[in-house]
Amino acid sequence: MNRKLKNNLFYTSVGVAVLVCALILFFLFGIIIWNGLPAISLDFLTNSSSDFGATGGIVYQIFGSILLIVFAALICLPIALGTAIYKSEYLKNETANKLINTLIYSLNGIPSVIFGIFGLIFFVNLLNMGISWFVGSIILSMMILPTVTLSTYQSINSIPTVYRESSSALGLNKWQVIVQVLLPQGFSGAITGLLIGVARAIGETAPIMFIATAFSGVKLPSSFLEPVSTLPTHILALAQQATNPAALQNAWGSSLVLVILVIIFSISALFIRLRHQTISKR
Amino acid sequence: MLGSTSKIGKYYVYGSTLISAFIVFLIFTILIISSWDAITTVGLDLLKFQWNPATGEFGIIPMLFGTLVVTFIALLIAVPLGIYTAIFTSEILPSKYRFIVKSLLELLAGIPSIIFGLIGIAFFSIWVQNIFDLQSGRTIFTAGILLSIMILPTIITLTDDAFHNIPDKYRETAKGLGLYKFEIIKEILLPIAKPDLKGAILLAFGRALGETMAVMLVIGSIDRIPSPIYNWLSPGQTITSKLGREIAETSFGSVHFSAMIFMGLLLFIIVLILTILSQNSLKSNRRLYE
Repeated sequence: MNRKLKNNLFYTSVGVAVLVCALILFFLFGIIIWNGLPAISLDFLTNSSSDFGATGGIVYQIFGSILLIVFAALICLPIALGTAIYKSEYLKNETANKLINTLIYSLNGIPSVIFGIFGLIFFVNLLNMGISWFVGSIILSMMILPTVTLSTYQSINSIPTVYRESSSALGLNKWQVIVQVLLPQGFSGAITGLLIGVARAIGETAPIMFIATAFSGVKLPSSFLEPVSTLPTHILALAQQATNPAALQNAWGSSLVLVILVIIFSISALFIRLRHQTISKR
Repeated sequence: MLGSTSKIGKYYVYGSTLISAFIVFLIFTILIISSWDAITTVGLDLLKFQWNPATGEFGIIPMLFGTLVVTFIALLIAVPLGIYTAIFTSEILPSKYRFIVKSLLELLAGIPSIIFGLIGIAFFSIWVQNIFDLQSGRTIFTAGILLSIMILPTIITLTDDAFHNIPDKYRETAKGLGLYKFEIIKEILLPIAKPDLKGAILLAFGRALGETMAVMLVIGSIDRIPSPIYNWLSPGQTITSKLGREIAETSFGSVHFSAMIFMGLLLFIIVLILTILSQNSLKSNRRLYE
């Protein structure tokens, strides 16, 4: 086979692969929008669900999902910030740095269902907290910790050393340098990481399905130790009654709402990252 | 005064690092303690082919088999498809469109797995059922196909980064020698990008092993190895789908529960090894995917 023919054959196979991927992409977004749009109405977004979710709306599911990720973010932020500062400003030992990196990447790699069973054993049974949304928030905060930590670390670590040296020369001690010079910069990295993490956490089902949610009949929780209903677990419950067209319709509606929430968080993260980049370039 | 805030700050920073580092150990310890019961009482019988809690049989081989086959199908489809597509986005597509492609991929990666499960139930399993004329379309094969789509963005993004990080001088020199694009990619770029490609595939492998919701909804959830063994158009079970379906209904503290956690421990260890291996390969590109 001559070289030119081989080259053309290569171009053809690349073309086929790209076509397949593009088709998959359009198919996925196509059906989510196509099936989801007819289900969405003002009533759907503002009513509570009834009939095991087959009729009614999803307002409490949206509330439950937001509640879980807001508290997950609040729990995660201080720990991620502290770890990032330690990694960037205190840690000088190469071996320890490698070890911490390995631990962070390992935490990031743990399958989501493992977080679920860990929460079930440790928080629900051993600490006897029962099935509650707060346990769900703790577990989700563990899941997004690596993302937030590394994003914060990158933005703190990218600040030129001359900033640290100049402020030390002005008589600031190490902690003042961190709080007044480095943190304002590092904060945008933390927020970017949080938004990326939250975009992932809001769609997770496996970590929270045993420990934080109830499938139907749940409204607003009145304490920290009560289950809520969330969008992903609601979709799961509806998907399991897929023979019922009304349930399936609501499942598609909930899916579209969930995807829109994910996209809102991802795009906000992107905007903060872009804006921050243009500032640091100046 | 200044000294003491500095000290408090230091304690806070040390404390949060300890917490972060502690979580992985805590999860590992809890999983070992909880599965200890099964390891001591069931022992080597865990490696049998029958799973039937009613008669005290806890063989995890069917779940292990399902997990490996589903992941194998997913990688078989997604790796070539992903690498060819990444070659297009990195080497052929003008770089001004790169931002759009990257954003689309990130959108695709952001679709929650439960929605893939819904799509799997509503479309894929019905297609498989009709095409192969089966009684039910919820099979190992269906789960594999669905999973391949889910890991595709991971493979494309990481492979695209790997190619994109290679300096242009290699391409220009090769082009100056009169090599075709195919030859440039095959002879020059691919060997340079190889460690990163390995890392990308290992990472996708780990993700595929741990994927729960989508697989759980379409695999059919039957705890046996298909007969004959290559008949992947029959229902099966993976470790994750087993955990997802059964753990909430299993009473805490029983041998049954313990055996389930043992499967979780096994999955945890395999995925941890893959993650560490992939991070070692992805050295040139230390970014956290997702």
